Amino acid sequence: MAIGIFSVMIVLLLLGFPMMVPLIAGSLIGFVALFGGFGQLDTMVQQILGGIQPASLIAVPMFIFAADIMTRGQSANRLIDLVMTFVGHLKGGLAVSTATACTLFGAVSGSTQATVVAVGGPLRPRMLKAGYKDSFVLALIVNSSDIAFLIPPSIGMIIYGVVSGTSISELFIAGIGPGLLILILFSIYSYIYATRNNVPTEPKSSWRERASAVRRALWPLGFPVIIVGGIYGGIFSPTEAAAACVLYALLLEMVVFREMSFKQLYATAKSTGLITAVVFILVGAGAAFSYVISFAQIPQQVLGAIGIDQMGPYGVLFTISIAFFVGCMFVDPIVVILIFVPIFAPVVQAVGLDPVLVGTIITLQVAIGSATPPFGCDIFTAIAVFKRPYAEVVRGTPPFIFMLLTVAVLLIFFPQIALFLRDLAFNK
Amino acid sequence: MKPDEDPDAKVDPAVLAAARTPAVDEDDIDDSAYVSGLPGILGVIDVGIARIEALLLAIGVLAMAINTMANVIGRFVVGQSLFFSEEVNRALIILITFAGISYAARHGRHIRMSAFFDAIAPPMRKVLMIIIAVVTAAAMFLLTWYSVDYLIAQASRGRLLPALQIPVWWIIVWAPLGFFLTGLQYALTAIKNLIHKDIWLSTSTLEGYDDTAEEEV
Repeated sequence: MAIGIFSVMIVLLLLGFPMMVPLIAGSLIGFVALFGGFGQLDTMVQQILGGIQPASLIAVPMFIFAADIMTRGQSANRLIDLVMTFVGHLKGGLAVSTATACTLFGAVSGSTQATVVAVGGPLRPRMLKAGYKDSFVLALIVNSSDIAFLIPPSIGMIIYGVVSGTSISELFIAGIGPGLLILILFSIYSYIYATRNNVPTEPKSSWRERASAVRRALWPLGFPVIIVGGIYGGIFSPTEAAAACVLYALLLEMVVFREMSFKQLYATAKSTGLITAVVFILVGAGAAFSYVISFAQIPQQVLGAIGIDQMGPYGVLFTISIAFFVGCMFVDPIVVILIFVPIFAPVVQAVGLDPVLVGTIITLQVAIGSATPPFGCDIFTAIAVFKRPYAEVVRGTPPFIFMLLTVAVLLIFFPQIALFLRDLAFNK
Repeated sequence: MKPDEDPDAKVDPAVLAAARTPAVDEDDIDDSAYVSGLPGILGVIDVGIARIEALLLAIGVLAMAINTMANVIGRFVVGQSLFFSEEVNRALIILITFAGISYAARHGRHIRMSAFFDAIAPPMRKVLMIIIAVVTAAAMFLLTWYSVDYLIAQASRGRLLPALQIPVWWIIVWAPLGFFLTGLQYALTAIKNLIHKDIWLSTSTLEGYDDTAEEEV
């Protein structure tokens, strides 16, 4: 039965069906086969409805809403200016600024797409003008935006946390280490690239300019303080942090900057609702799917077939990494998380792996896969946003993917990269 | 670098021009410009439903934000959480999800992997689009049927939400409605593709409108 279900789902996915359909079809086949007919399909509806109701999922629309409000405002530009005044004059400074601004903006928005638009939009022309090749610029923007996946708030981590029953707070804190490590590697590469291609440096900013940039960026920098500080300090749950972010974003854009009208607020809420619905119907269908495959013991069959019992912890982590990496090369990360997490759940538990470490590794792989050809979804975001051909967006990616995979391997052998901060924050 | 050297000279001018055009924004959906896939009075009703869906989405998100923020403020300022807050959010997330899936179907916004689809020759692609719309509509109608079943079962049990003291079925009534309206949109999309030329991703979304915009730049 497992093979039948998965083949139908893959075919529907590749044909271009809305992604809720393969998930629904997979669960439908499962329910019909398992219960010998259509009699139990109201249970399927119950699972779909149950899947979208966990209280911690409310963090998802709230973070999307906060980010949606901020993306329309000035915060991205303020963060870019801040980074530029401090590192812009170094060799490869513009590229380092781009990567850093992506990381910072990721801490504000949590969405790779929003980061590509908000940071890549203004910085790409500047980099092209300074003499960077477009293939390098595009690859840098796409891959740096993926750091947003690891830096809290991360929608992927919230969904992993809910599906696997792992603490979202711990996941958030664990993502910071690998995220910063990637930023460092990208910065080193940017420096080498700029040196070898003799890209001229930018003029150095005065301390007066820096002070003014810091002042201007103070407001948007409140987001990481609320999210990381609030969760690290044990003040907020992720959902509370998300609500605090919405409140803060509204205060900034409507009271402090006065850039948002009530009409725009309405439009923003509507667009947030739309994104939420499109994601949540997948979460609901994913829950029904997960219910039926665990009921039919399909995870055990699949894992048994690939002989995961004999692999030991490292083998399991590598298998999980490869599965998520390959999955995200083709399909939206949220769908991959919804389908694969329940499949791997029994073995993660059996081998005694830390679910927070597994979640961090999965999030990293999801980020890498999303930026990897042929069909990583961030590539298509970049094509849509920058209107450049596929080949050009993809050409510069290999060095970045190599660096990201290096971090992935390091993370498997040195889990402290992720867990150090977590252990510190939660006294483990 | 010499100060008089034009940095633009090294870069393909087309690249720079493209880079200078502002990045695509969220392109908010303009509800007043929405045209229904249905003729006559049915079309008027459909446009009305579209407006209501949009309103429910926006109000749902705003209400959820207010509710969640009030809960946080309550906990930190007054030292007491709102006892009904979680149930209100449960009701709202169901409302948002099911108003939204139909709204997304109307505007062709559901997430899909279209790489292979886009690579197929147009006549085949039209056929495939019709198949996708028909199958999706069928799946939605099936779920409508069984969510009505589920709704009736819940209603007949008469269970109440513990904090709000309202019947459970009140908050899940959106599920069958949402599934039905989504199914209807996909069915209409199939019909639109059958009777009109071009390929329609939804009743109001023509495929590939981005390309024409790019050539005009």
